[in-house]
Amino acid sequence: MSETIQLFITCLIDSFFPRVGEAMVNVLNRAGVRVEFPSAQTCCGQPPFNAGFRSTAAPMARHTIRVFEKTSGAIIIPSGSCAAMVRYGYLELFKDDPAWLERARALSGRIYEFTEYLVDMCGITELSARWPGKLTYHPSCHLLRSLGVDRQPRALLSFVKEAEIIELPEREDCCGFGGVFSVEHPELSAEFLKRKIANIDKTGSPTLVVADTGCLMHIQGGLTRQGKNQRVLHIAEVLDNL
Amino acid sequence: MTIKTFRARIRQSIVDDNLQLALDNNAARRREGRLAAFASFPDHQERRARAHAVKADVVAHLDQYLDQFIARLTANGIRVHRAADAGEALRIFMEIASTIQRPQADSGVESRPILVAKSKSMLSEEIDFNHALQASGMCAVETDLGEYIVQLRGERPSHIITPAVHLRRGDVGRLFADKLGIPYTEDIPVLTNTARKVLRDIFLTADIGISGVNFGVVESGTLALVTNEGNGRMCTTIPPVHVALMGIERLVPSLDDLALFLSLLARSATGQKLSVYTSLINSPLPGQTRHLILLDNGRSALQASPLAESLFCIRCGACLNACPVFREAGGHAYGSVYPGPIGSVISCALVDPQLSSLAQASSLCGACNEACPVDIDLPGMLLRIRSGHTPQMTTMETKEGVGIPFAVKLGLKGFSLAAATSGLFAIFQTLGGLLSRIYSPRRSYMHLPAWTGWGYSKDFPRLAVRPFRAHWGKIVQHVVERSAPLQENQKPSKTSPLTSNKTISEQFIEELTALGGHSYIVSKKELPARLAEFLQSKSIDRVFVDDDGARFVTGISTVRRPDPSVRAGVTGALAGVAETGSLLLTSLGGETLKASLLPEVHIAVLKVSRILSALPDVFRLPEVTTASAGVVITGPSRTADIEMTLTIGVHGPGELHVFLIDDSLPV
Repeated sequence: MSETIQLFITCLIDSFFPRVGEAMVNVLNRAGVRVEFPSAQTCCGQPPFNAGFRSTAAPMARHTIRVFEKTSGAIIIPSGSCAAMVRYGYLELFKDDPAWLERARALSGRIYEFTEYLVDMCGITELSARWPGKLTYHPSCHLLRSLGVDRQPRALLSFVKEAEIIELPEREDCCGFGGVFSVEHPELSAEFLKRKIANIDKTGSPTLVVADTGCLMHIQGGLTRQGKNQRVLHIAEVLDNL
Repeated sequence: MTIKTFRARIRQSIVDDNLQLALDNNAARRREGRLAAFASFPDHQERRARAHAVKADVVAHLDQYLDQFIARLTANGIRVHRAADAGEALRIFMEIASTIQRPQADSGVESRPILVAKSKSMLSEEIDFNHALQASGMCAVETDLGEYIVQLRGERPSHIITPAVHLRRGDVGRLFADKLGIPYTEDIPVLTNTARKVLRDIFLTADIGISGVNFGVVESGTLALVTNEGNGRMCTTIPPVHVALMGIERLVPSLDDLALFLSLLARSATGQKLSVYTSLINSPLPGQTRHLILLDNGRSALQASPLAESLFCIRCGACLNACPVFREAGGHAYGSVYPGPIGSVISCALVDPQLSSLAQASSLCGACNEACPVDIDLPGMLLRIRSGHTPQMTTMETKEGVGIPFAVKLGLKGFSLAAATSGLFAIFQTLGGLLSRIYSPRRSYMHLPAWTGWGYSKDFPRLAVRPFRAHWGKIVQHVVERSAPLQENQKPSKTSPLTSNKTISEQFIEELTALGGHSYIVSKKELPARLAEFLQSKSIDRVFVDDDGARFVTGISTVRRPDPSVRAGVTGALAGVAETGSLLLTSLGGETLKASLLPEVHIAVLKVSRILSALPDVFRLPEVTTASAGVVITGPSRTADIEMTLTIGVHGPGELHVFLIDDSLPV
């Protein structure tokens, strides 16, 4: 038997890291899941919503709702913060708009983050992935605290063959991305990032795994600026490695 | 304060090595302490949810609860005043002060100004009460060690529970050498003891004691106040007039609720199971006048706004300690007496509407909400402020994104327009991909200049020339057939609380010992002899006793009134709390409250049969509400106001000895 899901790729993966999207499709296929991609999708509206521009975010949210309303089944999002936006943020955004709130609620119930779906819905942790060497995992803030998803990515990583998982010190500390925050408060963001990179250094792992592309581009951007060699990968890329 | 000033202050904080060390130390120790305290508290998530529900009910029905509360207090003999703002609070206080009967000064000699001993109150900081009192010719002295230090420095507190968290021991050493004339020292116990001596005179001679209120209990009209040092007890017990300041939202319906909140407050604030002293104030002590000033100062507006949930706050400071922004910026950078995540929410309502721009300084990481013992959705509140949902929104034009630079605003607008249709979005993606390749032909991460904000500390990825949507059509899917959905993974079984075979008295003794207290099990018959022997071993020849103490102490001279030359106090204790190693004392047995507070050594006598399992059991005893005042004592007086270093013995006794009468034994 197989299920069919709707992929909400997120604007970051779509625009910057298409390889993560391909890896996701492969992994979901291996888990017995067929993927559909509603091509009218764009961005969920999180950047303006988090910056406070709700009137700017609302049309983006309405667009997203319209696109996915036409489909059925679970909607899988490979990013904790985008999943939290559609699952919870839309309810806040439309709290004074009963008609859209109703539609947002219906969509909210279909939203799953990628690792959450694999582990909690498909009941799969073993995907025959292989990664020779050390890996360390950074739990992204929204994934961890808004969605409460932590055991799922850890379980998936624990079954990766030949991988040595090293615990990241102070792992639950924010990397300093925070959307517009990283641009608006560069000094604070830089300090968070410095501490995160120092902790990655402590693990001795050449690879950091995340399940959110905001953190991916932020931490990788910091590592690159500092001339460091560690790579940041989305968990789908690790799970796609056979 | 503009966002520019805030950023400038943050930059200063980041390069201040002394401050960064102090803040790192605070973050590490407080976080560790909190996690350890909650680890031994298996049902804490359930308690947190209950606390949230209780506060939601209180805030939703605040007017009714306030009416009941005020009626109870008035019936109990406490004079209640309501103040809409700082000016009214000050005027009320001046009226109270003007009624004070003071000894006639000798003719020709000007009488000294009215002396006010102040226990820590964030509300008084909110309305800048000290400066207002000074301007009115009074002398107000802060008596919490941290508050005293910042007052001597002419500063405001930088943390709501650890006011001097920004300072290190050398700073305090220099301050005390300069202001108090002691030789420079970095020895924290010496510094603490110096403050104790100076402040002891203040307590004993103050005309008025001011305190805050942690919780007002509606059903009984009880004011609950917690301190570790004992200054809260001093200010509410010794001066002839006590004035309590309380925000209108600080109510809990019942004593049961009070026990719940106390169990969360100390764990969240300092990692203790209970603060050392929990004062329970019902009515004036003999010869004392008590007043309560209930202050609104923007709280009603908050209640009616989308930020009402911020009124659930119990001011534990856990969100400050968990916040990575606070850890870098420190409290003073915020320009509000309420820093940190909760400060960024309430300051615009309680301090200055301009402070709504503080809400932008957050990565929305959610560590604050995770740490909040009342489960306030602090990131959600910050988002609402960012979108212009402040208490001022009814009077001011609602503004979205206050504090966001114009360029960023423009960028977001443009992005939103591009995302309106997928066709336009794809065009922008391709365009971006090409442009980023022109900008950075070789490196996949582009080096952006610092002024872009992003380029300050990191590189930015190039956009893909072919985004995922362009790949999609070419992806061939090979879906693996599964026989059946696998079983849902076994969730970790809920860990059951450690069941213990310990008796209640064993648990009490273990907790008391962990706090640095001492206990001795004696029979009723041998108590007087054992007590005398103990006092002699400490070379104590005179003791301050309450009614119980007078019965138990034999062969040693006793006093029934405060006397600075007496080193030890012997009192009865009405009950014990096994889970926290605490004692309940009330004003019903003579000078119990003073005899257990003023001397350096406190000896309490408690019957084993009076040890109850948990705090709610003790709060159900009738004496808790029938006595004018009571106190729950949890270990010897302590502070950690200098560099988080635990120091025993501040204003209250540094030694606590409990004689347990084993009344299961035949007499």
